[in-house]
This record gives sequence, structure tokens and C-alpha cells, in this order.
Amino acid sequence: MTAPPVTGADADAGTQTPRLGEARHLDERRARASQSFWTAVVAVPAVFSVLRLGVEAGGELQTTLLLVANVGPVNLLAGFLTTAARLLSTGLVAVFALGAVLGVSVDRLPGYRRPLFARWADITPAWFVVASYLLALITWPLLYLPLLLPAFAAAFQLRPDRLHDLPVARVLIVSALLGGYLVLLTPALLDAWQQRELLVLALFVVPPVLALGIAGPLPGAVIRPLASATEAAVLVMLVWAALPVISTPVLPLTVTTVQAGSGATEDVRGHVVVVDDVNMVLLQEQGGVRYVPIDQVKAQVLCPSEEELPRHRLRVHDFHVEDSLLEGLGRRVRPLHRIDAACRAMG
Amino acid sequence: MKVFLTRSRVRSVATTLAVALTLTLAAAAGCDSRQEPQIPSVKETLSKTHIYGQPTLKIGVSTTGPLMGELHGGTYSGFDVEIARYIAAQLGYEGDKRIEWVPVATEDRIPALQGGAVDLVVATFSMTEEREKLVSFAGPYLVTTQEAMVPTRLKDKIHTIEDLRDPRYKVCTSGGSTTEAELGRHQIRVFVVKEVGDCVEGILAGRYDAVSSDETILAGFLSKHPKDFTIIDMPFGTSEQIGVGVPISDPALRDLVAFFLDKSYQQGRKGLSSPWLTAYHQTLGPWLRAPKVQPPPLKVPELVDFDDKAPR
Repeated sequence: MTAPPVTGADADAGTQTPRLGEARHLDERRARASQSFWTAVVAVPAVFSVLRLGVEAGGELQTTLLLVANVGPVNLLAGFLTTAARLLSTGLVAVFALGAVLGVSVDRLPGYRRPLFARWADITPAWFVVASYLLALITWPLLYLPLLLPAFAAAFQLRPDRLHDLPVARVLIVSALLGGYLVLLTPALLDAWQQRELLVLALFVVPPVLALGIAGPLPGAVIRPLASATEAAVLVMLVWAALPVISTPVLPLTVTTVQAGSGATEDVRGHVVVVDDVNMVLLQEQGGVRYVPIDQVKAQVLCPSEEELPRHRLRVHDFHVEDSLLEGLGRRVRPLHRIDAACRAMG
Repeated sequence: MKVFLTRSRVRSVATTLAVALTLTLAAAAGCDSRQEPQIPSVKETLSKTHIYGQPTLKIGVSTTGPLMGELHGGTYSGFDVEIARYIAAQLGYEGDKRIEWVPVATEDRIPALQGGAVDLVVATFSMTEEREKLVSFAGPYLVTTQEAMVPTRLKDKIHTIEDLRDPRYKVCTSGGSTTEAELGRHQIRVFVVKEVGDCVEGILAGRYDAVSSDETILAGFLSKHPKDFTIIDMPFGTSEQIGVGVPISDPALRDLVAFFLDKSYQQGRKGLSSPWLTAYHQTLGPWLRAPKVQPPPLKVPELVDFDDKAPR
């Protein structure tokens, strides 16, 4: 007896069930990864916002409750986005750039488990990746913007050979692009050299060169250690960078001149929590809440905080290197910046 | 196949290097963003001054120098006073309620600073080497020359320094001033009084025939008596740099005053209206024959301030 020949249809039916199961399993994993990713994107800002209120209140329960009662969720979210957009975009850019490089690297190694960042990069729609880079473009300080070039090239696996088929033409295009970039930055680079700002020089010059070679697979031996190390590093970076964001005030800093009944004036440095017909509630910079009768308030000025002090004295075409494009454009709309005298006098 | 493998290996190594360097640079950028500014800030410098935490700022000014420092009906006015108001405001003392004006005579300026009676002196205070041994100066905010002013009746008789040497003419000046020393160097017999205003009154009373002082001080008195006096165009001696006197024990305060004077100077250089220009046009400007501009202050420290990021 010979066994009946196996038809093609039967052969398909025999292998289809495990394949379908595998595909379903993959879909489920993707759905779970997608869910966890979007949960993180929404939950992290929400948790941060609430944590910030606690820090701003100086750890006092009653003060935190006062802030919770008076700071609306929209204000809180807007305040968070204003101060944390930079951190958020940095985290996203790091994840997408590393995820793409690691993803390409494991693609050629069958059976290799895809690293976490690669899976996140896989499930993220391209528009979200582009939006993250755009957010970084407008919120990062100019000084760090060149780092976006290798990050972008890594995320979208852009190689110079995409520019032109002919190697000579590629070299010419790359030279022209790098030349234009250097011409744009020459005055700032000269200033940085004169001020011996070597890190600034490196941050301006090196990243565009790195962008040329960053796309492509990593050697097999590097993938696992790099994946683990960068996952830990990004987590540490987020926590490390999150601390100042959590401690950044939600309410604007003011100095309020209060005149007591005796005629003597006093400057109170702090944040206005709420104003009603009877009192102005001030959260003092050094701690404690003060209820100032509204008729005793003689003047109030808005003050900058210590964190706004520049660390470098360099400009790129009159844009300060520590300003983001958004801040730089804002300064052109309101070019005069006056620091009120009252802001200086207080400790 | 071999070539392909080699190229692939080179690309892998290039990618590894690029990733490693990008991560290193990113880490360095992260550390840089958390560093304290290397250059001291205005606020930090202010906290090192002796005035930090004081409710008011005591400023020594002249009360008898028309156009420069005058007291009328309880209100101080003049170029020096306006400059003092600008500096006080920058230091955190805006408005006259936060300033304690202390009248100082010419010879009292150094003792007032040394004794702590005042925090600053803005009273047409010439910056000289001898004085810099006793007090610090921030500035100059004005450069003047010494000139002589004579009554109209003598304008055709006194033209030169030689004329002033004539023993028939009694030349008067204020004590402790640089003019007194300069006249002595030119062997001119001089009558020393407390204030330049005393010389002017003396001339009007017929006791003296000429008064010598800074052109700005003389312009002030000319504005009071335009028909009675004439300024003779015979500058002698070197030009004088007028600065803000600060206690020698407080270099941080000197640095801040120099920084704020320079801020005004930089504004003026850009063709913008500056506090100096406003003060000048309100006071001295209309009375000086040759218009003046703010001189660049000396020894200006590098300080960072909150407005450093603003477009230039």
C-alpha cells in the first residue's frame, strides 16, 4: 500500500494552524506593547503633574491640598507641557533612534529576541516619530540641536547612499551640506573657540559627521549589551532629568509689595495661588502659605528664577545657544526683557 | 562576496562608533545642562555686597551743584542724582522711598564712604590715583575738563591761564577737589572754600574774580546765572573721569555698579535710549557747549544676568 499522495491543499492545511496561531500571538504581543506604550505616554505626564504639586507645596499635605484645589487640570497640564516638553521629546527621540538601530541589527539575526526599544519603534506610527522629532526641534536648546541629526538618521535609517547613485555625486552633496552647515555656524564656532568651550565645539561639529555613519546594523556581539545598557541609561536619564522638572514651579514667581497698617512695606517673594475679594494667597518661596489682605497689596512684579540664568555666552546668529527655536522666536516678538528691581532685592 | 562582507563589517563598525559617540555626546550634553553657570551672576554678586538685605540704600550726593546734584523742596535732582537713581534701581532699590539721600560736601565724600555713612557716592567724584588708595571707583560715567568761569564784567580781560596767574584776580575753588591741586601746579594763587557755590556767591558779592572747577559743575551755576557769568574756554590739566565712589572693602558692589554703568553704555552704543542719555538730556545736555556721550566704564566684570539671552 502506498500512501495517497499529499495534495498541496492538504499540506497548507497542515501548516496553517500553527502559522495562524503564531500570527495571532504576534498580534496580541503588539497590541499589548502598543497599549503599554500609550499608557506610558498618557500616564507619565499625569503622574508627574500631581507629583509636582506635592513638591511645590514643600511636602506639606495641607499646602498640597490648597494647590490641588486651586490649580486646574488644564493649567497643570499646560504648565507640565511647557516645562517638560524638552524631557518628553528627549525620551521619545532616544527610544526611536536606538529602537531603529537595534531593530535593523536584529533583523539579520534570526531567532534573536527583539529588544524593547526596537519593539516600541516597530509599533509606533511614523507620524508620531516625526512629531516627536519636530517637538524636539522646537524645544531643545540650539546647542543640543545638532544631536538630532544622528538621531533622525538612526530612526529613519538614512544613509548617504540614498542621496545619489554615483559615489562622486554623494560626496559632493554631503560636502555641500556640511559646508553650508559650517558656514552657518562659523561665527559661533569662533566664539566658542575663543571662550575655550570645547564641549560646545564638539556638540556643533561632531554630530553631523556621525549622522553619516549611524544608520546600519550593529555587530551581533554589541546588540545585547547595547540594548540592556541603553534601556537602563534612558531610564536613569529620564529619572535624573525628571527631578528638576518635578521641582520646577507650576505657578509663576512674583514679588508682592505688601504695606501693613503702620505704613511699612514688605516684599514677599513667592507664587500667587489664588486671588479673591478678600485675600491674595501666596505660596512663599522659602516655604509657607501667606494670606495677604487684598487692600494691603501695593505692587506685584513677575520675576525670573535661578534656573533661567544662562551658562554660556554664545549665540548663533543672535539666537542664544541655550534658547530653543521657540524661545528664540519668542524673544524676537518681545525683544525687551526688563528685570524688575524688586526681583533683585530679595534673597 | 568577500568585498561585500568587508563592506558590511566596516559599516557595522562605523555604526557602532557613531552610536557610541552620539551617546557619549548626549551624556556630556546632559551633564552640561545641569551645571551651574561658570561666570558669576548679578544676583550671586549682589549677595556678596554689604548692602545685601538692607532695606534702603544710602547714597551720598551733592545738594549744592546745579544740574548735577541739588535739593529743592525736599526733592533731589541733577545728573548725578539721576545716575544714582538708575544704579539704585538696578541694585533693587527702585523709587526714592528705598533710597536714603545723604548730602555730602566735596571734602566729606571719602570720609563718608570710609565711615559707612553712605553706601555709594555719586557726587561728581573724580577718579584719581590718590583717591583710589582710599576708595574704589566704578566708572567713569562722565569725562570732564577743568574750566574757569568769570563774571561777565571780566570776560574780555580773562582769557588764558596766564591771566589767572595775575595777582589782581582772586581765583576761587572748592577744597579737596582735583581743581585745587591742578591750579597749584599752574602756580595760580587760589582761595579755597567749601563748595563751588560759595565761590559763585563770593563772585556775586565781589570777593572773588573767577571760579575754577569741572565744566559740568560750572555749567550748572551758569544755568542759574546765565546773565552774570561766562565760561572761559581754556581747559587746563588733564581730563577728569567722574565715577561712582564705593567703599574699598566692597569689590562686589564696585563690580555691580561698573556692570550696570556698562549696561547703559552698551544700550547707548546701539543707538537706543539709555538711562545715561535720559539723565543727560534732562539735566546737563542743554547747558554744555560741546555735547557729551557716555564714556566706556573701566574694569567691567563679566557677569551673567537674566536678560543675557535677549536679542542684542
